[in-house]
Amino acid sequence: MTELTLEHYLAVGTIMFAIGVIGFMARRNLIIMFLSTELMFQGIAIDLIAFGRYRLTSNPEVFFASQAFVIFVLVVAAAEAALALGLVVLLFRQKQTLDPQAWQELKN
Amino acid sequence: MEQLFAIQHAYLIPLLPLIGAVIAGFFCTGERKTLAHWPIWIGVGASAILSLSLLYGMMNLPHVEGKGLSYVQDYYSWITTGAVRLPGGQHTFNVGVSYLFDPLTAVMLCVVTGVGFLITVFSAGYMKGEEGYSRFFAFLGLFIFMMTNLVMGANLVMLYLGWEGVGLCSYLLIGYYYEKPAARDAAKKAFLVNRIGDFGFGLGIMLTFLAFGTVSFFGDTQGTDGFLNMATHSLNAFQQNALKWLPFLLMLGAFGKSAQFPLYVWLPDAMEGPTPVSALIHAATMVTAGVYMIARCGTVFVGNEAAMWTIAIVGAFTALFAATIALRQFDLKKVFAYSTISQLGFMFVGVGVLAPVAGVFHLVTHAFFKALLFLSSGVVMHAMAGNLDMRKMSGIRRVLPITRWLMLIGCAALAGFPLLSGFFSKDEIVAAALQRSTVLGIVMLLTAFLTAYYTFRLYFRVFEGPEVVPEEPADGQGHGHGHDAGHEHEEVEHGKHKHEPMLMILPLVVLAIGALVGGWLNHDEGMARFLGQSPSFIASARVLQAQHELESAGGLELAAGYGQHVELSARAKETTQFFHLRVMIISGFIALCGIGLAYMLHLHNRKAGDALVARYPLLARLLERKYYVDEIYQAAIVEPLRASGRLFFGFDNRIIDGVVWLIGFIPQGGGFTVKLTTQRGQLQGYALTMLLGIVVIVWIVLCA
Amino acid sequence: MQGIVLEQLAMNLAPAVADAQAISPLLIVVLCAVAGVGTVLMLPSRREAAFRKIGGAVALLAAVIFGATLVRFTAKANDPMGLYFWIFGAIAIFGALRVVTHRRPVYSALYFILTVFASAGLFVLLWAEFMAAALVLIYAGAIMVTYVFVIMLAAQAGGGELSEGEMQSREPVASCALGFGMMALLLYAIFDRAPAALAPVTTPITEDLSVRGLAHYLFTNQLVNLELAGVLLTMAMVGAITIARRRLWSAQSSDQTGAQGIVIGDDDPHSIPVTGTTDPRRKAYPEA
Repeated sequence: MTELTLEHYLAVGTIMFAIGVIGFMARRNLIIMFLSTELMFQGIAIDLIAFGRYRLTSNPEVFFASQAFVIFVLVVAAAEAALALGLVVLLFRQKQTLDPQAWQELKN
Repeated sequence: MEQLFAIQHAYLIPLLPLIGAVIAGFFCTGERKTLAHWPIWIGVGASAILSLSLLYGMMNLPHVEGKGLSYVQDYYSWITTGAVRLPGGQHTFNVGVSYLFDPLTAVMLCVVTGVGFLITVFSAGYMKGEEGYSRFFAFLGLFIFMMTNLVMGANLVMLYLGWEGVGLCSYLLIGYYYEKPAARDAAKKAFLVNRIGDFGFGLGIMLTFLAFGTVSFFGDTQGTDGFLNMATHSLNAFQQNALKWLPFLLMLGAFGKSAQFPLYVWLPDAMEGPTPVSALIHAATMVTAGVYMIARCGTVFVGNEAAMWTIAIVGAFTALFAATIALRQFDLKKVFAYSTISQLGFMFVGVGVLAPVAGVFHLVTHAFFKALLFLSSGVVMHAMAGNLDMRKMSGIRRVLPITRWLMLIGCAALAGFPLLSGFFSKDEIVAAALQRSTVLGIVMLLTAFLTAYYTFRLYFRVFEGPEVVPEEPADGQGHGHGHDAGHEHEEVEHGKHKHEPMLMILPLVVLAIGALVGGWLNHDEGMARFLGQSPSFIASARVLQAQHELESAGGLELAAGYGQHVELSARAKETTQFFHLRVMIISGFIALCGIGLAYMLHLHNRKAGDALVARYPLLARLLERKYYVDEIYQAAIVEPLRASGRLFFGFDNRIIDGVVWLIGFIPQGGGFTVKLTTQRGQLQGYALTMLLGIVVIVWIVLCA
Repeated sequence: MQGIVLEQLAMNLAPAVADAQAISPLLIVVLCAVAGVGTVLMLPSRREAAFRKIGGAVALLAAVIFGATLVRFTAKANDPMGLYFWIFGAIAIFGALRVVTHRRPVYSALYFILTVFASAGLFVLLWAEFMAAALVLIYAGAIMVTYVFVIMLAAQAGGGELSEGEMQSREPVASCALGFGMMALLLYAIFDRAPAALAPVTTPITEDLSVRGLAHYLFTNQLVNLELAGVLLTMAMVGAITIARRRLWSAQSSDQTGAQGIVIGDDDPHSIPVTGTTDPRRKAYPEA
């Protein structure tokens, strides 16, 4: 096998991020949209850990810092997921649909 | 001459009427409105006394042979500039408030202030009870101030100041009844037509400065020479060239102000103003400013044969033209308006045939009898409750007995009845015209015949014959003024003279005396010799003499037309006198013929007169409609201008404003488009746009 | 543990691989385009299922080619862990793609859980074992359960059929174009250089790289952030409860009984709106 370099992991993370972006924009279901944002978070987490790992020197601060970063990303993701799903429930009660195109009050 | 009392206090001549005007205009309002005439009477009266004193003083000065009678007084340095490089060298444009005193000025001053004073007296009676009483007198005072500036100005700019000023006062006074749209339009018309002439005049002033480096007539106390003097000496090429065109430019101004063809159309319409205004401004004084100006600047005119012939021909044509129109006018004031135009034509002919002394003489006599005629018409109008239509009244000699005799005197003077003032002055001009060109002379004789005819047509129709007095009041057309005035007269004056109050009749009597005996002013060439002492005429004669041989009697006559004393051989003297006598007899005879014809057709057998008109209906209509000149102007000049104005307005409105609108619309439209495409209210659409932005930024940051 | 760590570290101290080749940007763009086309076809649409399968095949092809290119990117140096990278990476990307392209939301959630597990595996490869465990616990354990609950809620209220929105995707072409364009740019930026070797280590690592070390770091350097994270979670909890609570209905709401005054809706968790009405008092279940 080949030697794994930083670029490999970054590629994976980037691809996951891009797929998450596409999912956010292309799906007409609120829940799937937020799921895609979680997917974006995943990709970012991979990238961060990869950076931390491959910048590891005698002082492992960077690695720990990247892991801490990812922990906080997870915290934020969880908080965001909770709130977002609460909003989704609220919105669903209004219009009985999960289609984001049902809310166009910001038009013009 | 400096010692004369009038000269020492000459600044009062324009100043007192101005102060009177200010007082009348600003302080005689409200309850004091009826006092407004006092400041003007005092101001103009004092001015008139000073002018007469000046004239008397000048006449009594010893006459030094070969030297003119003139004096320039500088009061104030008004405009000074730095050095200007001109074709003739370096000059500075200096204009001072300076006044020139010479016989011509003195004569004009007496006419202006004298007749002006008489008219202010008349106006106090005529305008009694008017709403704008004080305004009227204030404007009158202002007018006198401007006119005196005009005739006293020692340089072209002072003259132009007065010129424009009287134009302004004419506008203000024609439009006195500003609530009438006809009056407003007439005022505008007068001002605009005058402006055309003033444009030429202004160019003339500029050309004078360019050529001569000064606009002063005869120099000032600093020693600069005046251009009229310079024109008598040798001239460089530029000046010679300028003198080819200068007379025409100045002439344009004179034609505008003095209502010659084709700039005369404002004068008949100016009759919308009150009758004293018509008398003062449009008969006696303002319209003569053109004649005065050409007489004053004669030096630059006489050298130019073409210019002199132009003046003479235009004057003659105008005289005949206006006389024919007057044949078929029915409004009293309109007849006299066209008559004024015609007589001004006479004056211009006089100036054009190298006899400006005759022209000025006619100016003076014309001031007297024309003012008399206009003011009498005012009395008639008062009595007939605003009615001025000849067809509606007849035989009113019983209603207005005094006025009838005054009017008769005035009409006779205008017609050139022998031995009256008009006879002598008209005869001088006709004689001079005949000497220069037989055709011209015959045209003037024909015009004199027509003048006599239409004048007495008016007199016989209105004052003689069966009595027909219009009962109903004027219907607002014509020249009606406040009914209050009419009624007041009837209450105040009782008895036989109830329509002829003293305040209005007295000045007329004075004017009538002047019309009767004014001819004797030039007895034994008295006025001619007096005027001949004016440096204007001396210089002009000198230019003439330089151009013509003096051996022949004709050449000598030329100088005589300028009042110069010419030594003639006995035989030449006799020939001249015989010639003059013949002309007098002929013109007197023609005047009597005209009067006789008028008698036949308008008093003896009026039906014959009407039948004659009925025989030539088209011709009658043409004359009555003033040859449709106004309509031609409207169609050829006014309407195209209006149309081009509309065109430009449309252009400005649609294209230029359209461009502005477009500039405003582009961001608006762009914004609208952007709004339509990007602000759709859809969350994912926004996310898409955001992503686009992210892609661009990533590209820029990472790859470029 | 420590010894192994050091050993691995020493092994990875080899200088940068000599005969690596940068991946040409053109190749990246082409691969992204092809994958994009495939994704478009895969996204939910009204087309027949055959299209979706074709799309899947195309995307798979692109991924394989990319994988092969990646292999060529670095030279051969023996790394027994490399195989797992390929496995986990493939699963992660496959799972991500299915999350986005599956019609039914429940399946999307399940595929997401699969992706989470694959990511956890990648974390382990990267020596971040704690992160792997935390990921599984939090994401797969908590967040995804919440998602599934909400999906059930909505699906039941919607009657169980696929709604209109789920049948179609919104502007698939534009989204994929832009998304893959961004991916191409980023990949280009990543691969536009010689492969980055590990940073050189001049002195041996003495610290503990395990969980203990991370904990030590967290609670000394990142103490404030940690506390703030706790506060953030509390806030989120409070917020979520507040948002999703039943509101006080006012008189002008769509109250079909026309009652006067203010009607207070109940907070009974059993009160679930029945399809077709917004009346809070109509309940799906009988009174408990």
